[in-house]
Amino acid sequence: MPKRQDLINRRDFLKTSSLGTLASVLQGEMILIEPESKESRPVITEAVNCALIGYGLWGREISATLSRLEEANLLAVCDNYPVMLQRAQRSLPNISTHTDYREILDRRDIPAIFIATPTHLHKQIAVDALQAGKHVYCEAPLAASVDDARQIATAARDHEGQIFQGGLLYRTEPQYRSVYGFILSGALGKAVMARAQWHARESWYRTSPNRDRTEALNWRLDPEISPGLVGEIGIQQYDTAIWIFGSLPRAVSGFGGVYYWEGRDVADTVQTVMEFPTGERMIYDATIVSSFDAMYDTFYGSDSTIILRDGKAWMFKEVDAPMLGWEVYARKDKFYKETGIALLANATKLDALGQSATDDDPDAETPLFHALKAFLDNYFFGPYEPVMDYQKSFDATVVALKANEAVVSNTRIEFQPDWFEL
Amino acid sequence: MATRFELVLLGEDEVRLRAAGEEALREISSLERRLSYYSDASELTRVNHGAALEPIRLAPDLFALLGEAERFVKKTNGAFDPVIGPLMRCWGFVEETGSVPDQARLAAARAISGFHHVDLDDKSMCVRFDREGVEIDLGGVAKGYALDEAARIVREHGIKSALLHGGTSTVVGIGNSYSGAPWRIGIQDGDTVLGTIELRDCALSVSAPSGKYFTYGERTYSHILDPRTGRPASEAAVSAVVSRTATKCDALSTAALVLGAKASQFHDAKTGIGVWAKADPYTVLFLEGLPAFDRNLN
Repeated sequence: MPKRQDLINRRDFLKTSSLGTLASVLQGEMILIEPESKESRPVITEAVNCALIGYGLWGREISATLSRLEEANLLAVCDNYPVMLQRAQRSLPNISTHTDYREILDRRDIPAIFIATPTHLHKQIAVDALQAGKHVYCEAPLAASVDDARQIATAARDHEGQIFQGGLLYRTEPQYRSVYGFILSGALGKAVMARAQWHARESWYRTSPNRDRTEALNWRLDPEISPGLVGEIGIQQYDTAIWIFGSLPRAVSGFGGVYYWEGRDVADTVQTVMEFPTGERMIYDATIVSSFDAMYDTFYGSDSTIILRDGKAWMFKEVDAPMLGWEVYARKDKFYKETGIALLANATKLDALGQSATDDDPDAETPLFHALKAFLDNYFFGPYEPVMDYQKSFDATVVALKANEAVVSNTRIEFQPDWFEL
Repeated sequence: MATRFELVLLGEDEVRLRAAGEEALREISSLERRLSYYSDASELTRVNHGAALEPIRLAPDLFALLGEAERFVKKTNGAFDPVIGPLMRCWGFVEETGSVPDQARLAAARAISGFHHVDLDDKSMCVRFDREGVEIDLGGVAKGYALDEAARIVREHGIKSALLHGGTSTVVGIGNSYSGAPWRIGIQDGDTVLGTIELRDCALSVSAPSGKYFTYGERTYSHILDPRTGRPASEAAVSAVVSRTATKCDALSTAALVLGAKASQFHDAKTGIGVWAKADPYTVLFLEGLPAFDRNLN
């Protein structure tokens, strides 16, 4: 049983503890420092009632993740397809299910809403939810058009006391945050370029026994409403590059086509080149034809190159790069003919557990877990400006949607500053 | 699980069948990542790593699966028990080194094995262990559970005829095969076909000690352990269970291998559970309850 002094609610914890809100400001970015160990963590005595709108593939991931977060109490699920509601009921027997999201917005006992519907359906739900006084977590991209995304972001801006967080995952992921600070400290030397990829083998086609439902399920393959591979997937890695380089890109060139999955118009393989104001370029490719080498982000500099993949990161130093001191003692892993210095967000803890840097960490959580936890922490400790606020979510959405336009038209697009204004 | 899953989906529209298969396989992959005893990053490993220190909150489906596993423990009087991680380690099956433990090591492993060390709190959906060292290994049900979930997805897509298997030892038959007759599955022991079973809208799981084993001296030691004694099961050479769900088949076929002739207690005409176990040399112990078992091949 927890001791009585441990049974405090979170708002009291904020007022009385020195652990919960230690923060530092690093070039305009707030880095929240979390309590270090399970032993020092207080027992949560309250949870926020939540609802999830959209119980598709990603909605189910959100649901499963929320169910493991003690700060969340998922009370309701909305989907317009009865089969999905049956699935929800089977997984979460105590929830209420709805086919109309407005029924959830009318519930005063639910202050927080997670939106995971098809992208082109986000706008009305997000705007209505904000107007209904809800805190909103909206999947990325915010919308399938810049106008819709702007309406969502504007509504979030106009509801100041409510939390709005976009579903961009890596600014709240501990390993990425650790590397971000590391790069800011100059570890790359002069940054020269970035390269990122997402490779998978899947058709992107969805099916159901019902013809209309099949059509609705395949919104990703409808060029009229699909943000394409770069809009749906690439946005996450674009946002990481925007974050690391510290500015929005000035232009994007795109290429792509249907090379394997016949009978569709939305590209199954794409490449983009994103140009940043200080001259660096980010080369990105995504495909649903080849799964080789999955996903990673790489940042190249004059002193070193840093690669992030599978929740881990390594630095590869140039032979003439200055010594940092600590790397002599750091763990090193072989990658073909290269030797990478492991960069671990929680190195002390792993060492204490006697684990190798390349082993999976049993306490590691997914990027989604950390993003949802950041949203819930904001509810209890805030409201403060989320790491992924409405402006950053809107910026990334604009970049990704324009990148998709570049892919579709096989051209170069220069970003106009007024596109990012609300 | 760490095994190969295959789906055979019958229908006219290849694109649609592929999409359904992709979703089903995606679910299986997701469950593999979450339920694996061997992956350091799985949800199950997080439980094994931390549930002795503090209650671990689980996703509802994993919590429900542990609840179901607990019911199987009770139903089989401990012949099936997933809380055997320490026993698997002490016999060297985790590191695949294979070694016969001495009495002291075996006793120490037994002291931290068994579902009675696990507390499932329905209200908080938390799991907690009563001591350090306790480990759950869902290898006895995870494959069947993954197949049940995959079969559910296949059915939701309107597919009326399919065969799904994991590692060729657990099979789910949906509807009839392409011939119009039920799916006809052979049970092998080495190169010998012991019999065939017809499946239509039900599952089959076959267990055998020969699946994974090591030899020490003159004896062969199987990875199927009797949780009650901590020693490799030796009551039957092959067991097969047919039931509505593959999860149940998996758990009960493991238990049947441990129980041998006593596995007859699982026969249940109402729930459609049939059990067949074979002791050397080729003695069929149970036939009743199995759908269309072809005895002529024995």
